[in-house]
Amino acid sequence: MSMAHSWRSFFRRDGEEPKGSGVVTQTQVVEGAVRSEDVMPAAEEVLAGRSELMTSEDVVEEAAPGEVEEALPEPGPVEEVPDAEAAVEAQEGVGWFARLRSGLRRSRESVVGQLNAAVAEFRDGEDEEFWETVEEILIASDVGVNTTSKLVRELEQEALERNVTSGRELRALLIEHATRMLEGPVELDVTHRPTVILMVGVNGTGKTTTIGKLVNFLPGSAMLAAGDTFRAAAIEQLQRWGERTGAPVVSRERGADAAAVAHDAVEAATRDGVDVLLVDTAGRLHTKINLMAELDKVRRVIGRQLPDAPHEVLLTIDATTGQNGLRQAKTFNEVAGVTGVILTKLDGTAKGGIALAIANEIGVPIKLVSVGEKAEDLHPFDARQFAAALFGDL
Amino acid sequence: MEIYSMFDTLGERLNAALDGVRGSGNLTEDQVKKVTREIRLALLEADVNYAVVKEFVSNVRERATGAEVSKALSPGQQVVKIVNEELANLMGGTPHKLTFASRPPTVVVLAGLNGHGKTTSAGKLALFVRKLGKNPYLVAGDTYRPAAIDQLQQIGSELGVPVYAEGTEPSPEEIAQRGIKAAADGGYDFVIVDTAGRQVVDLEMMEEIKRVRKASRPHSVLLVLDVVTGQNAVEVAQAFQEYADFDGMVLTKLDGDARGGAALSVVSVTGRPVRFASEGEKMSEFDYFYPDRMAGRILGMGDVLTLIEKAEQQMDREEAEADAKRMMSGKFTFEDFLKQMQMIKRMGPLSGLLGMIPGLNKQLQGAQIDDRMLSRVEAMVTSMTAQEQRNPKLLQNPSRVRRIARGAGATQQEVQRLVKQFNEMQKMMRQMGKGGVPKIPRMPF
Repeated sequence: MSMAHSWRSFFRRDGEEPKGSGVVTQTQVVEGAVRSEDVMPAAEEVLAGRSELMTSEDVVEEAAPGEVEEALPEPGPVEEVPDAEAAVEAQEGVGWFARLRSGLRRSRESVVGQLNAAVAEFRDGEDEEFWETVEEILIASDVGVNTTSKLVRELEQEALERNVTSGRELRALLIEHATRMLEGPVELDVTHRPTVILMVGVNGTGKTTTIGKLVNFLPGSAMLAAGDTFRAAAIEQLQRWGERTGAPVVSRERGADAAAVAHDAVEAATRDGVDVLLVDTAGRLHTKINLMAELDKVRRVIGRQLPDAPHEVLLTIDATTGQNGLRQAKTFNEVAGVTGVILTKLDGTAKGGIALAIANEIGVPIKLVSVGEKAEDLHPFDARQFAAALFGDL
Repeated sequence: MEIYSMFDTLGERLNAALDGVRGSGNLTEDQVKKVTREIRLALLEADVNYAVVKEFVSNVRERATGAEVSKALSPGQQVVKIVNEELANLMGGTPHKLTFASRPPTVVVLAGLNGHGKTTSAGKLALFVRKLGKNPYLVAGDTYRPAAIDQLQQIGSELGVPVYAEGTEPSPEEIAQRGIKAAADGGYDFVIVDTAGRQVVDLEMMEEIKRVRKASRPHSVLLVLDVVTGQNAVEVAQAFQEYADFDGMVLTKLDGDARGGAALSVVSVTGRPVRFASEGEKMSEFDYFYPDRMAGRILGMGDVLTLIEKAEQQMDREEAEADAKRMMSGKFTFEDFLKQMQMIKRMGPLSGLLGMIPGLNKQLQGAQIDDRMLSRVEAMVTSMTAQEQRNPKLLQNPSRVRRIARGAGATQQEVQRLVKQFNEMQKMMRQMGKGGVPKIPRMPF
């Protein structure tokens, strides 16, 4: 099993040992912030993890986000989680896998139910009806026609060649092929000082929120740059995250040049010896040429100050996105040189199959997934788990 | 299936599938099978939910089987026509315009997933109803997302629309209730309640929107849906129907290039129409939704109707006709040129406009349509003196060109190129005035 979903191995740091628990660093620990309900889900998670057929190593790693939650400052009323929701989570287990599963339940009843039925009756690779069902599942998960047909063709061929006749074998094959398509370098390169991470994406895909989450997991000290100078209250939103996580926020007034904010931030991060600088940017539709040119400028300004920077350019894609996600990934990659995709809002009914299409057709690796609203809902991407979830093998 | 990428529009794909079928006669079963396969793929690529596609395709199959192939249309076009009609049937023909409560205020609650544009739509809707003579009032009911209230307040202050906010402590339903009362007391007749984004699997949050709905006693609940939404639009819509009982949708981010099949999915499973189209960063880019036009977008067939209407909105017809007459008599000046250009700019981004012209979509895919070019040209023209604008011959003078270039932040070559292209246009206008069909010169932008 791939260990990619472990935060410990997620950051490439040139052999530098992580401080603290390996996830939380001193700077983020705020005293007196431990609430009893924060501890509970972590315990539940361990139990949930075990029931999900994970190795013991996995269980420990799955529990790590709970520690992060403990160390977080008391969230303001803004993030108050209703008790009932916490109760529901506790029942279902809060591993991201479990969250994903609960999110997929509805669709599972329809589509994956069909797969189960088909797999149970599967006899050989020439079963046309079976392949149509597989196609349908992939399409219904937003994988798209091109990638679906490629995957199904590969599978069909291999099933015939290997003379697969059992449903179990076949399901393993499905997951294997999808995993292979999804696998890529997931780790984040944070070997530089400062490491500059540029967040890009279409409006409303969750850039600012993801920054707020990611900062909790970063090794070393972090700084945020409020580069979304366009949307009303975007700067304030990032500042709230700064207050919650203790990371300083570099900002200018609304309407200021985003590249100037980035410039200030790189300067400040270099001066203060910050380990990681996260640069937020305004949401922009990939079809707006002038806004994409602005992004290019932000990138160039950063690169002029620090050769090789930005070291990571992360594109947020909303998991509910359909085939337009391909165009988003393609254009952002061309303009900003995307190093990884963050699949956000995977906590809904969306299956995020567009990730498969992006990995296959654009070739940009998926690095992170976000399955809920809390910081611990952000996870390094695990191709196999994701593929398994797609085919309802949970 | 690889051939898919070679064809951008369903019309082209159908023609390819039916290659060789010409003239009158009926479509054979085999042809229909080929055709329905193409339609199925096109709709799936447009993100129409697969279950909806199934049903839709079977309807088309029924109508297409044995359909008479007319002489005027190619078989492919014939099928496109059927598909288009079926789509239009499903989406409804005419826009669903706003109705107002007989006893004001009219209350509208906005609901939807995170990040689909509720807060922005709240502001846009406020501006929209103010243009209809209403006195709007905004209620900040998103108590979860950091700074969501600030966002609504900033939008409100930009528009000059009051925003009712109580911070994040009270429950959204309490805020809604008190906000609506405050609006009524203040004499506002149109209240828009913004709510937090929520995921449909989060039952606690879904119960909350149910309570907000109950407390607000709204005239209308609108589901705000991002046009990029994929296959799960159906589940999302069903859940919001169950908990928020929405009666219509706001389709957002229509200025992107998503086909928007999700709209079709939602309409077909809930029977609730799309009421509004939201399409840009500007607060004014919000309008009633014209369902018949969505069919063309989903199928990638362009949207001539919108283009025509947009042009109409921006032009004063009499003035335009007088201008045209004068220009064609050869008196086309830089002043006219500027006026025309500004008109085009008011119609929205050039890339969006060109996308509405059928057949152009494909050619434009690699092309760079840069709206800033318009601004550069505009800068050059406005750097001319009024005399120069009226009498472009003066621009033969290099020192004038130098001055204009400096004023516009352009190079002298750019100015010279503009003048040259302008002269060609002038020549063309004169020819058109004489009734000749001119060779169309390259436009300067």
